[in-house]
Amino acid sequence: MTDSNIDPSAAPTRPRERDLPADRAFVCDDCGARWYYDRRRCPDCGRSSTDAATVRLETGTVVATTTVETTPPDVRAPNHLALVRFDGVQVTAQAADGDLSPGDTVRFDGSHRLRESRERTDPRLLAVDDD
Amino acid sequence: MLLTIRTGMPTDVRVSGVGMTPFESDSRGSLVDLAATAAERAIADAGIDPSDVDALHFGNALAEALDESAGLANALAAALGLDGASADRIENTSATGASAFHRGVETLESGVESGDVEGGEDDTVLVVGAERMSAGDTRDVTEAISRLVHRREYAQGITLPSFGGLAAGAYLDRHDAPREALAAVAAKNHANAVDNPVAQLRKPIDVADALDSPVVAAPLRLYDCCPMSDGAAAVVLTRSDSASRSDPRVAGIASATGTHAVAERPDPLAIDSVSAAGERVFDRAGIDPDDVDVACIHDAFTVLELIELEELGFYETGTAWEATLDGETALDGDLPVNPGGGLKARGHPLGATGLSQIVELVWQLRGDLSEARRVAGAETGFAINVAGFGNNSVCTVLRA
Ligand SMILES: [Zn+2]
Repeated sequence: MTDSNIDPSAAPTRPRERDLPADRAFVCDDCGARWYYDRRRCPDCGRSSTDAATVRLETGTVVATTTVETTPPDVRAPNHLALVRFDGVQVTAQAADGDLSPGDTVRFDGSHRLRESRERTDPRLLAVDDD
Repeated sequence: MLLTIRTGMPTDVRVSGVGMTPFESDSRGSLVDLAATAAERAIADAGIDPSDVDALHFGNALAEALDESAGLANALAAALGLDGASADRIENTSATGASAFHRGVETLESGVESGDVEGGEDDTVLVVGAERMSAGDTRDVTEAISRLVHRREYAQGITLPSFGGLAAGAYLDRHDAPREALAAVAAKNHANAVDNPVAQLRKPIDVADALDSPVVAAPLRLYDCCPMSDGAAAVVLTRSDSASRSDPRVAGIASATGTHAVAERPDPLAIDSVSAAGERVFDRAGIDPDDVDVACIHDAFTVLELIELEELGFYETGTAWEATLDGETALDGDLPVNPGGGLKARGHPLGATGLSQIVELVWQLRGDLSEARRVAGAETGFAINVAGFGNNSVCTVLRA
């Protein structure tokens, strides 16, 4: 009998621990749906997310922006943030500067420590020149 | 047999006593002391004895994060002398108080397990909410609150005011509203707190003051944001034939969750947990938003008062800002909103906030406030308490 429902040695099931770079989203192997914020199952077809592939986000459109002056101790101040709509997902992320406005086209770029307490680096949102 | 009869009966849970401590930036005494003070006031207001209490629900959000004592419900039960009552602790971040109240109502609706029930006495539940945010230094509290967001949001340094800033910018932009509209919410709620002895910020401010305060998360400024607070609030709930008919009745209560990650909402100005909990509570109470005489809205940020008023159906989408500027939500307006000052000026001790809204509504419905504080002739009160930035909402309707 190796039913994981009764096997006391079985580890709790969970999506593989994956601290994705800021510019990557999950994509369902079965139906192609995308999601950014970890979940155990595909929001569209319900397939387990354990082995979900990831995809790099290309360009997106700014929905809203803010510049936060009062930030946690290990976060830059001011912290420029934007809510951006990409193909299939919407994301809140750090922007390179405070010059973004709703409607602007952006992409992820560069290599930055988003929090001083984080070892790794991630890209930030940057305006794409339209001309 | 008793339970069978009860299942088919309409809800007749009444708030038979209320009490609270002043909300303040730095209280004396322990968390349990604060909670016990509010509880004793509610027990005295209800005219009962502590031994009458069948169940205790204690709402607190941050005790562990701030290294305060654990086992809170048992400590409070012992402090109050509630030996034998059932007791537990409820946590739902900034909506902890309303969730504890929701649990108290459900306990009475399902029939409490106690000797009192068998003996045919009144069923009595005590609900207490308390928070002592001054227990940690500002850095600890900020860190604890910043952990309420999704893991990938946290990685970006995002905090709750960050969402407030994004939503406020989107609201002003989409509805072509002036920045003064947000400031007007703050000025109104401060004005309402001036005569409220339990409010933390009793200083009147005008729109110019709010517009001149430091930026927190553009376009939100300091006066758009609620303070950190210490405080406790408590209510006694009763279900029996003998409950006083003058006690306000819980006409409906409902909760709903929404997305955890705020960016997953297709529209940043549509907070599904708010609209879903609102629809459910109006349905259960059998009323429409038009029937509400006084409302306590979760204004952790000024923009939330506007968005929630629209999501709940009190105003059409994109019009709450005009109504606010026109004075419709002032104490003497068509729909007085946050007559006690709201989170903005009464304060926001997480575990106590939702219960302080209930306390305010009960005071309004019983009419036991001074003329400067009273909503004349109020018979139906509404409250919404929201967790996180709309992760979970709890709505209540009380009727006189
Ligand atoms: Zn799928």
